[in-house]
Amino acid sequence: MLRNEILWVEKYRPKKIQDIIGNEEAKATFAEWLQNKHHNKKAVLLYGPPGVGKTALVNASAKEYDFTIIEMNASDTRSEKAVNAVAKPATSYKALDNFSGTTKTRGNMLFLDEVDGIAGNQDRGGVSAIIKIVEESLVPVIMAANDPDISKLRPLKKVCLLVRFQQVRIPLIIALLQKICLLEHVKAEFEALERIAKNSRGDVRSAINDLQSLSEQNHTLTLQDTMMLRSRNKALSMDETLRGFFTAESIGEASRLLSYSNVNYDDFLLSVSDNLPKRYIDPNELAKAYNLVSQADVFRGRIGTENWHLLKYFYNELAKAASVNNVSYKPFEFISPPIRIITLFWTKGKRTMLNNICLKIGAQCHVSKETAKNDFIPFIKVILQKKKSSGLVDWLKFTQEEVDFLAKMSRF
Amino acid sequence: MVIVLNKNGFKLPRMDKDKFVNLMRLGLEYNRDIALFSIKSCNNIEKIMEAVSAILGSEVVFLQSCIRCGKDFQCNGCSYVELCTTKNLPFSCVCPRCLSDKKHFEEASLNLG
Repeated sequence: MLRNEILWVEKYRPKKIQDIIGNEEAKATFAEWLQNKHHNKKAVLLYGPPGVGKTALVNASAKEYDFTIIEMNASDTRSEKAVNAVAKPATSYKALDNFSGTTKTRGNMLFLDEVDGIAGNQDRGGVSAIIKIVEESLVPVIMAANDPDISKLRPLKKVCLLVRFQQVRIPLIIALLQKICLLEHVKAEFEALERIAKNSRGDVRSAINDLQSLSEQNHTLTLQDTMMLRSRNKALSMDETLRGFFTAESIGEASRLLSYSNVNYDDFLLSVSDNLPKRYIDPNELAKAYNLVSQADVFRGRIGTENWHLLKYFYNELAKAASVNNVSYKPFEFISPPIRIITLFWTKGKRTMLNNICLKIGAQCHVSKETAKNDFIPFIKVILQKKKSSGLVDWLKFTQEEVDFLAKMSRF
Repeated sequence: MVIVLNKNGFKLPRMDKDKFVNLMRLGLEYNRDIALFSIKSCNNIEKIMEAVSAILGSEVVFLQSCIRCGKDFQCNGCSYVELCTTKNLPFSCVCPRCLSDKKHFEEASLNLG
């Protein structure tokens, strides 16, 4: 239980733009835009990893430049209807106070946090509604996202000034933690602050939370105290995850490792499936492991895109597959990435070629690609194997490369 | 050889139009009066480094500016350089000298005790 109720992240939330640590260039660009120095863009998209100061910058600049923030974040529904209901009134007029000169306020500022989270049926039409609002807005529109490269944000990026945020550097985080220690009367070892900063991986918010949780009780912080810190955002690669997974000595260890890893669940499932015969030599153990992987696959199917509460069962079944027999483990070379993905990569050229051929047949014979592939190509292949320069080739407008491909094709 | 550049202004050899246009698109700007390039936008900073390296035919690093003492310094003296995702990029930081100068921090801590 925390001694005083206020979280330090809230207590030391930046009040002014200059209080935010790091990302000086991003801060300067944003402040310039807010002061109307970028007339060609009506909106700005702040993007970068979490905990680097995007939301803090918006809040601090609103205070500094006397804007009233109208905010919609990931906890709000952001469908076309909802966006129009909230954002349209907020952006379609300027405050009357502005003209009377009675108050300092410069009017509204629309802030849409975590726009990369606009997804699914719940937020249908949200992005196009935001674009329309940006085009018609009379007030600054600010958006923040962690990942701006997702395809649905492409139209948004065209109408926005993009401002990139980088991870905050370790020395800057240490400097901030030192400052908080002074203000909170915490006697901290430099090495302890260094460890918290390193562990935070550029996330200032998590560093402050760690500092508070470790030092608030005793007002002292030693390196020993920080040993219990769990690594944050540890992005394990597929190889590291597989290695840790197959060498895990218990179901709990395997399950914990999976929860830390950021690998794609489907790719990981395929990789585990490919590597199981190398892990278990005994057929009975292998059968048991495959049975557990198939059960994990069932849970993955049920999770789909929304039932994430079932993720623990997915992890659990996979973890059991890793621990069918802990004694029999011998180091082996992992197959990674999954064979299916490698095969798809290697056959991409062939599949594209076949697709083009099917399109040509479909256009000439007025049939679907599927019909062309199943009902026409076997016969055309036999014809071309006998005579490559038939009238058929000219009629179907095949290139020499396509003719050679069809003649040599073994299966499709 | 590593070439150290100052983000506020650096010279590049004469280049063809395409390369110049590419640099401008990536986020550099050119001041004709003083004939110096500077960084206008850091959104594509890694690509800028690559393009400048290709033009100079050598690895380039940018100077960092210290938020405490205001001096410029290089990343190679920093003990966190291996963990840094933005090493050698032209951003603000705390120089190793200011960071290791625990005097201010420790004095204040001792006073508390």
